[in-house]
Amino acid sequence: MLDYLVSLSVFAGLYALLALGLNLVWGLGGMVNLGLAGFYSIGAYVSALAALHLHLALPLAALLAALLAGAAGAALAVVTSRLKGDYLAIVTLGFAEVIQLIAANEIWLTNGTDGLSAIPAPGRGKLSPFHFDLAAAATVWIVLALIALGLVRLSRASYGRVLRAIREDETVARVAGKRVLAFKIGAFAVGAAVMGLAGSLYAAYDGYVAPDSFDVLVTVLVVLALTAGGVGNMAGAVLGSALVVALTEGTRFLGGLLPGLSALQVASLRQGAIGFFLLLLLRLRPQGILPERMRVHRLDG
Amino acid sequence: MRVTVSRRSALAGSLALPFLARTGFAANAIPLGAINPLTGAGGAYGPSMAKVAEALVARINRTGGVLGRPIALDVEDDQTNPTVGVEAAHKLIDVGKVVAIVGTWASAVTTAVAPLCWQSRTMLFTVSGADSITRLPHHGYIIRTQPNTHLQSGRAAGFLLQHESKRVFGLSAQTPFAVDSWSRLKEVLAKGGATGIGDIIYDPKQTSFRSEIDKALAAKPDTLFLNSYAPDLEILLRETYQAGFNGKRFTFAYAATDAVLKALPAGVTNGLWSFAPSPDVTSPAYKAVQAILGISDPDPYSCQIYDHVALVALAIAKAGVASGVAIHDNVRKISQGPGQKVSDPVAGLKLLAAGKEINYDGASGPCHFTPIGDILNCKFLFQVVENQHNKTLFIS
Repeated sequence: MLDYLVSLSVFAGLYALLALGLNLVWGLGGMVNLGLAGFYSIGAYVSALAALHLHLALPLAALLAALLAGAAGAALAVVTSRLKGDYLAIVTLGFAEVIQLIAANEIWLTNGTDGLSAIPAPGRGKLSPFHFDLAAAATVWIVLALIALGLVRLSRASYGRVLRAIREDETVARVAGKRVLAFKIGAFAVGAAVMGLAGSLYAAYDGYVAPDSFDVLVTVLVVLALTAGGVGNMAGAVLGSALVVALTEGTRFLGGLLPGLSALQVASLRQGAIGFFLLLLLRLRPQGILPERMRVHRLDG
Repeated sequence: MRVTVSRRSALAGSLALPFLARTGFAANAIPLGAINPLTGAGGAYGPSMAKVAEALVARINRTGGVLGRPIALDVEDDQTNPTVGVEAAHKLIDVGKVVAIVGTWASAVTTAVAPLCWQSRTMLFTVSGADSITRLPHHGYIIRTQPNTHLQSGRAAGFLLQHESKRVFGLSAQTPFAVDSWSRLKEVLAKGGATGIGDIIYDPKQTSFRSEIDKALAAKPDTLFLNSYAPDLEILLRETYQAGFNGKRFTFAYAATDAVLKALPAGVTNGLWSFAPSPDVTSPAYKAVQAILGISDPDPYSCQIYDHVALVALAIAKAGVASGVAIHDNVRKISQGPGQKVSDPVAGLKLLAAGKEINYDGASGPCHFTPIGDILNCKFLFQVVENQHNKTLFIS
């Protein structure tokens, strides 16, 4: 049981990293970035290829993954700078699809739909599976803590204030003399880099990446995690991710509670239950479990 | 003495209930896991696979179990997604301590799950077709009942040689087996005096394949090898017909579906050959699968998972110990030894209990495996289209 919980905490940590990256762009900057599966897979593939062909150690491969994902994020931000709301959401979702298609078809680079297997990671094969999972969980959560700390500082700094100002009213921010486009590109790049980092850790932990690993399901789960936890709140992003993993995995045990149902009925019920819990949460607490705290500044006198 | 239950411990207790409920039943049961595509792209196959596995486990349990112990089967959904499959495998291996996982379907799921299995010495029985799977460093912990690309393409090439194809051009959807498929086909064609004159791998999501077809026809083939799925096959058939091609066409049975044949005029599809690995339709085990599902033509994957469960039960009975290692060491002793042929797992268990040697031949075929876990041979169904319907040519 403990082994299982440890491996789930790795996945929870990865989702939390993705949610943090999304929170910077969407929560603070107000830009709906549904391309996260794309940045996640860029990070995973870059890191996997760097480890397999260049024999880079994980920290270096992760850094390279974050840099390239960040660059892709910046490029996407430039391309979509005039889009907002639903239109931005559709284009970014399309970006993730394009990345998945490239991964499936550029066989010389990505090995196509076969995927890349036997990706090296420190300790794999030397540690027992349980200890490997423990080490992975520790790594993911330490990285998560550092990133969360950094992003909290960033969101409280003037940089975060400007992003929130852009989210609330872009024109006002521009009138106040802020270079809106530069801030948007910056937020996209940093958010994408965090997602790329998550992808790199995923590739190292799982040892296998394939285009199917980065389908729209990841995006849905992370958006749900952030919505449930509280858009705009970094702690909410982490809590929401833990909650989503607890929900998706906890419902696997439904079958034991409800004897007499076929496997298909349990599987369907499971997905229904996840949807129901999240609906309930959004109905009762639309601002999320840990809503963003707005600091109100009063003018005295 | 008063027993007090604090609210906190009541909460902890009720949260733990689902876990207890699972592990609580049949304490001495042999834990067996199944990972099936109950939902997602494989959703057409997963539910019937799960049903067959559950039915066979129930029957074995009713007739005394294995080594006097019942089998506890836990079926998990992978949503045809490798990440979800990995989470399911973690649950089965870490929590359920299963001795084997049966029925992984998508190649990506199998590849993702396989390392977890061999690291924890859990046997993995799969129906995935990608050749790369058995080439993984799995130390013998993978058994695959689906003929690999090598076997399938070899048989396809044999059929084409029989039907006097001389110049074959391949049009393949981008899949994990596209490249392997073509290179094996070409190899066998060459041995028979024919030529694979060229191939193109295309993106199956395209809505037209004009440029691919122009390239293919420019090479003047007498046969097209269409390694397609149903939607792209429909477009390819229409467009090659429009381009004036009147040679032979060969494809996979899963692509030449009734829906495709209905959607095109008879003149376009007449003479289209297709083939598929075929379950052993004469086997009593095949009849058992028919009875479980209540249909006359169960799909190959449901037949294969029946054999997975049978092989697990028989290998454990042979070993006298229920563990992944025991299955690993004994699976070939009960599937391809010199022993008495059996197709009914329960009869096989009785023979093993009586100290006899057995050789299990299942619903999917003879179940003889190479050292890396591929099946040595199986039957294939060849068919031809006549007036918008597939007509069986032969099974061999």
